[in-house]
Amino acid sequence: MGVLYFFQQLINGLSYGSILALLAIGYTMIYGILGLINFAHGEIFMIGAFCSYLLIMNAAASFWTGLIGAIGGAVLAGLLIEKLVYGPCLKKSPEVLTVFIASFGASLGLRNIFVMIFGDGRRAFPTPEFLEGIIVTKSGLFLNVKDLWILAITGILLISVTLFIKYTKVGTAMRAIAYDPNAAMLVGVNSATLVLLAFIIGSGLAGISAVSYGISFGIVNPSMGYIIGLNGFIAAVLGGIGNIPGAAIAGYIIGLGEVLFVAFLPPAWSAIRPLFVWALLFLILFIKPSGLFRPNIKIE
Amino acid sequence: MNKKTTTILGSLILLGILLLLANTFLRGYYLRLVILLAVTCIVALGVNITNGYTNIFSLGFGGTMMVAGYATAILTLPPAYKKAVLHLPLWLEQIQVAFPLALLIAGILAVIASVILLLPAFRLEGQYFILASMGINIVMGNLAENLRGITHGDMGLRNIPAFTNIWWAYGILLVVIYATHRLVNSRFGRGLIAISKDQELASVMGVPVVRYKIMSFAIGSFITGIGAALWVHLVLTMNPKAFSLVYVFQLVAMLAIGGIGTISGPLIGTAILTIGTELLAPLQEGFTCMGLSIPPVFGLVNVLMAVLLVIIMIFKPRGLMNGREVWNILNPPKKGGQ
Repeated sequence: MGVLYFFQQLINGLSYGSILALLAIGYTMIYGILGLINFAHGEIFMIGAFCSYLLIMNAAASFWTGLIGAIGGAVLAGLLIEKLVYGPCLKKSPEVLTVFIASFGASLGLRNIFVMIFGDGRRAFPTPEFLEGIIVTKSGLFLNVKDLWILAITGILLISVTLFIKYTKVGTAMRAIAYDPNAAMLVGVNSATLVLLAFIIGSGLAGISAVSYGISFGIVNPSMGYIIGLNGFIAAVLGGIGNIPGAAIAGYIIGLGEVLFVAFLPPAWSAIRPLFVWALLFLILFIKPSGLFRPNIKIE
Repeated sequence: MNKKTTTILGSLILLGILLLLANTFLRGYYLRLVILLAVTCIVALGVNITNGYTNIFSLGFGGTMMVAGYATAILTLPPAYKKAVLHLPLWLEQIQVAFPLALLIAGILAVIASVILLLPAFRLEGQYFILASMGINIVMGNLAENLRGITHGDMGLRNIPAFTNIWWAYGILLVVIYATHRLVNSRFGRGLIAISKDQELASVMGVPVVRYKIMSFAIGSFITGIGAALWVHLVLTMNPKAFSLVYVFQLVAMLAIGGIGTISGPLIGTAILTIGTELLAPLQEGFTCMGLSIPPVFGLVNVLMAVLLVIIMIFKPRGLMNGREVWNILNPPKKGGQ
């Protein structure tokens, strides 16, 4: 259990954290703008993974086409859910609970449509050859090429999303509407467009996250989005809801924490790995109910 | 005897005759379905007290039901079986109690579990609370998988004595319906409804908000705990997946479709989903119809349930009953009574 082992696990944790960070941004963006948990976000993630899987396996597409397919499929799924479920629901009754139950219905429905078509078995995700290699550093560290790719791509995405939200006019409008929808609308922010934009960005990131999951765990199945979606949502809460960099950092904290938890505790404990995330959530929510970082929603 | 008493007595007698007929002529699967309907109704009404009347939307009842389910299983299994598969303290291994006592203990343990697990969550509000309560299910499920000495892990407990019959199930259901009715129309029940409408206002009006919330959790958990115990003695197995999030979500769907915050809503929602699921089950497993073999379509029932749920949430956000009771629609109360 030397320093080497620690760094090895650190890379694994960062790679897993990248997947959660991208998912958490989707949750926090949509929560910020609509004020609701998009429970079907995990299924958007799953649909993204299936799109790239089907493109690569059945249409003999390249990995990059598959990635674009995943983004496209996820965005399409996100927009469909918004148009068919959340839009009509919010129009009829602004009660949060109703929309939450509807979003849970959407999640259940989408997952089972895929169970219906593809069965609930696991399928091997086709990882391209250029991602399969291992680099051995001088100090004896084994680095998976795919982990490096995931880290690089996620890093670029996180930086651009943060810059976009912080410095562009549209990004400012998104933050404004999350903070105080009425005041934002009074000064002429068009909320309908921003809702769509939040779904597009959030779902697109979920699609990329899904491909990362596919190459790093090597599987796709209809219920893949369920537990990881919950973890992504926990990250969004820990990061202070509506706070986009916060969500990303919390995603990395959970990913690293979970991997190091398994790596450094007795093997008998690894079965209780899911408990770690929830224990962390409870702990932080009791000390600081608003999350680790400042939430970007108005607290009355 | 006035008209109301006659109606209630009449319907009770009718129900009794129907149950007697069902018990005489139905066998196996169909009889179990009739009993399962009542058991699920009991659970739905228990959940309805917190999620409907008090309007604290908790998904944590799966965890407390798990406590009740394992409790009743361990209390009633024969000592020889427990000695073979579990590692329990000697007194727990030797103990084998009568069914009513096991039910009662299961209910009380569910109450204790709910207070220990959910009280801390009261610090959280709204969707944070929903998330925390959902975590309780996952944590309890994971513990049940790993505490093999008490739960036998993934293998689950089998050969649990079959105590739940049609009379127990419907008898307890009637008691629960009556108790809920009395509860809602008492000072306490009005307090709960006041809390659900506006917590601050209720507190200003002198409703002891925290105490009433805890009490509503305790009562709701007691009923769901007894429901869980009845379920265990009907299905005869208990495993960590029994009351997992899938079960929890089915119940939420039943409540939401029927309409929370009423007595008839959960009953109607439960009836629709329980019977609908069973009717559609053959479709899901594939069948042969006039020489045409229909392939099995797994997940179809869940898709239909989800579509129904979304449609009802869009067009009837407060469920089919929309905050009213069946008997008030059939026989509207006189206006200007107050």
